[in-house]
Amino acid sequence: MTHATDREAIPEPQNPLGLDGIEFVEFATSKPQALGGALETMGFRPVARHRSREVELYRQGTMNVIVNAQPADVPRTVQPVERPVISAFALRVRDAQDAFRRALELGAWEIPVRAQAMELNIPAIHGVGESLVYFVDRYDEFSIYDIDFRAIPTVDPHPPAVAGLHFFGIVQYVGPDRTQDWEAFYSQLMGFRPLPEQVRFGIMPRGLVLESPCRKFFLQLIEPEDTARFAPMDEHLQRVGLGAPDVPAAVAALEKRGVEFLATERVHSSERGALTKPMLGGVMFELVKSDLTAPAK
Amino acid sequence: MIFHDIGMDAASLAGPLDAKLEAVRAAGFSQVMIAAADVVAHPGGSASGVRAVRSSGLEVTGLEALSDFEGLDGQLHAYKVDVAKAMLELCAALGGRLLLVEASTSRHASTDPDAIAADLAKLALMAVPLGIRIAYKALPWSRTARNFRAAAELAMRVASPNVGVAVDAFDVLASGTPVDDLDVLDPQQTFLAQISDYMWHDVRNAEERAATAAHFRVFPGEGAHSDALAQFVSRLDTIGYCGNYSFDVYNDDYLRMPPEAVAARARRAAVWLAETVLRRALPVPNVDRLRAARG
Repeated sequence: MTHATDREAIPEPQNPLGLDGIEFVEFATSKPQALGGALETMGFRPVARHRSREVELYRQGTMNVIVNAQPADVPRTVQPVERPVISAFALRVRDAQDAFRRALELGAWEIPVRAQAMELNIPAIHGVGESLVYFVDRYDEFSIYDIDFRAIPTVDPHPPAVAGLHFFGIVQYVGPDRTQDWEAFYSQLMGFRPLPEQVRFGIMPRGLVLESPCRKFFLQLIEPEDTARFAPMDEHLQRVGLGAPDVPAAVAALEKRGVEFLATERVHSSERGALTKPMLGGVMFELVKSDLTAPAK
Repeated sequence: MIFHDIGMDAASLAGPLDAKLEAVRAAGFSQVMIAAADVVAHPGGSASGVRAVRSSGLEVTGLEALSDFEGLDGQLHAYKVDVAKAMLELCAALGGRLLLVEASTSRHASTDPDAIAADLAKLALMAVPLGIRIAYKALPWSRTARNFRAAAELAMRVASPNVGVAVDAFDVLASGTPVDDLDVLDPQQTFLAQISDYMWHDVRNAEERAATAAHFRVFPGEGAHSDALAQFVSRLDTIGYCGNYSFDVYNDDYLRMPPEAVAARARRAAVWLAETVLRRALPVPNVDRLRAARG
């Protein structure tokens, strides 16, 4: 446990953790093959397997997706069930241990080290619901996957992205009147800033959009509407947003691969964005028009 | 139900948790303030205590109380953070959305407002993933916040949306604070109003006040300050307070009476508060439907 020594009101730097995008998004499921199939239609390819755990790494372009089927041994984390859920996201930071220490100092809940997923020394804190937020700093010269993962032989370890897809953001469902609480959480811990109401991306404009201090991705907080406000709901990470420089081209490419998109009066593909039909009981990807492209590795 | 937002404090009742919950429920209340000690001292263990609360059907007004948290350094601070985490987890397990935090009385606590605010901000951040709000409550014998004005100032300094204050009517009445002072409260950041009266007309000194607070409180409408209490509640209502009211009646006599007898007194107090003070009227059943049918 660290001690509070900094008692002065020192203005926070703009990007206190040196945030630099998303390193990976993790799904938990007890049916990793089924999710793997869905990910492959989305253009991801399996590139590596964990040496000792039921964990696989999928990749396309700059995006890494972890599929975790290992039963959880930490309270308040996702226990893999058939329906896949987003169980974590990893932030690239300047110094993971520094980021972790700072987060704890500010009131984040730590994950016991011995149980940290993938057995890597990746520090993590509790996020929304049962999800985790990892801090990763080795993403340049050599990657976290080199240590605990075995590459799948004969597979291209860096498959190109379909239609320039890249991580754009994550949508988080929050409880009634909880937007401000989560805004405080992400701004105090990680330096996220709310965007003005008139700035929205894609075709699902509701809620509050927070921009990362590195300006490379967004978190969108969405409260339940109308009568749904009175229904019990667990807060959770709902879907991943993928940026595409040309959304209709990306939709066409993905449709050819077998991905189905919603085409209702309210929600349908356009220049601005598109939303896949839920797969495997709830996994959705949202496409958003974006020219942001993370530097190639 | 005209007193859906008025609840009892389980600490007002004698007996094991299950008997308290049953008495509160049978008296017609829909919510109860839970004392952490009642849950963890459950004969079947803490998990059984949680189950008892969950299965009672009562809403949890909040969990009480984290004390002496703010203003500490080094190991003391780390120790209190662990205590706070345990209470937050217990609160979440109970389905509670509010943790009552009493201003520190520890002589080790710093009185530097920035240090206090930083600690409360940390507590607030710890509470966010669990969906819990922090109701910071002044204590007359605290070192960090002796009255609700001081508590509200600190809460404002914290500037976390899930940090607000709890106001205890007893403290306001016993200290002779003018009811106008409630106007300083931001109704959005006032999370809980605790309501009780007492029998004496005067409280002569701090010692007597502390003894009265801990042993001689009575339910609203039973004491010597009904008018002042009515003004207090009306004023809160006027400034736009929309949180819950909880009867925190700590009385040694009540702890020697069957909980259902005490809960019945609480019900009388709730009706008095709702009907006489807040002037709520019971809606006539089906009146809207009849009107609609008549066109």
